[in-house]
Amino acid sequence: MEAISGSLALIGYGLAAIGPGVGIGIIAGNAVQAMARQPEAAGMVRTTMFLGIAFTEALALIGFVLFFLA
Amino acid sequence: MDELILAVEECDLNTSSVCAPTDVAELFEFREALFTIGGFPVTRTVFLMSLAALIVIALLFFGLRRKRLVPGRFQASIEALLGFVRDEVAVGIIGPEGIRYYPYLAALFLFILIGNAFEVTPFINFPITSRMALPLFLALLTWVIFIVAGLRRQGLGYVGHIIWPPGVPVFLKPLVGIIEFFSIFFVRPFSLAVRLFANLVAGHVMLSILLVTALVSLTSLGDISLIKSLFGFAWWALALAIYLFEVIVILLQAYIFTLLSAVYIETSLHPEH
Repeated sequence: MEAISGSLALIGYGLAAIGPGVGIGIIAGNAVQAMARQPEAAGMVRTTMFLGIAFTEALALIGFVLFFLA
Repeated sequence: MDELILAVEECDLNTSSVCAPTDVAELFEFREALFTIGGFPVTRTVFLMSLAALIVIALLFFGLRRKRLVPGRFQASIEALLGFVRDEVAVGIIGPEGIRYYPYLAALFLFILIGNAFEVTPFINFPITSRMALPLFLALLTWVIFIVAGLRRQGLGYVGHIIWPPGVPVFLKPLVGIIEFFSIFFVRPFSLAVRLFANLVAGHVMLSILLVTALVSLTSLGDISLIKSLFGFAWWALALAIYLFEVIVILLQAYIFTLLSAVYIETSLHPEH
């Protein structure tokens, strides 16, 4: 079997992006559910959703930056 | 065309499928200055930053100059933008005291928005926030502002409440204190800067690589096979889709930076939440 060549940094970024992907899906899904249950609260739910997405996306982006550093 | 796009020269589509440089660091090379003012080199980044600032000032000046009671279209749109920052971000998050921080948050939002928007403007295509200096500086500004706000509101109890948090069981206080300390004083500005920077640099790099690949594969029909050449249309379509996605990312990242700045100021002023 020939050797598999490539970049370990790329695999590292791929692994780092799994968690935030699932996390953002959970946040957005719960936000949609909350907005469906109580449409009057949609504004507040939307703001909190953006806040949560920003925090979890930061981890994926740190992985992206470290890919360039490695 | 080749002089305008440096990456086109060294791209060989017979060996690689996209026009990516072999060394990633080449994507962030330091270009020569456009001109020099008394020893200070004005690169394209410096020039575009000044342009972004001038555009923001011009928007605000011409938008709010003749304040009619029933506003015209331009004034209404500027008012809507500023009203959005005030009602949703400054006063909405921080509360009535947020009006003191509203000028800073409005300036932050508009400057980051215009700076990001340079990524999708036709002849500029270079977001100034994709060089780490600007997001880092803006994050440090927010950091200084929320630390000083906390210190002025609670004195040295601000740091004390972080290291020794009330309302936590005694045996957990040191652990939570250390976690809170590093989270508030180090992770916050760093993540704020990296979030903006990485989002913008990712979009810029993707657009550059895809569009250059499309251009090279479509123009070098003689050197490579027909299938590979026509695949350039697929790269171009993908680049178009990412272009539209980048418009959303631009707005979202400017909003999130401002929102998180307001949230950090709010937690400094009202720690009981």
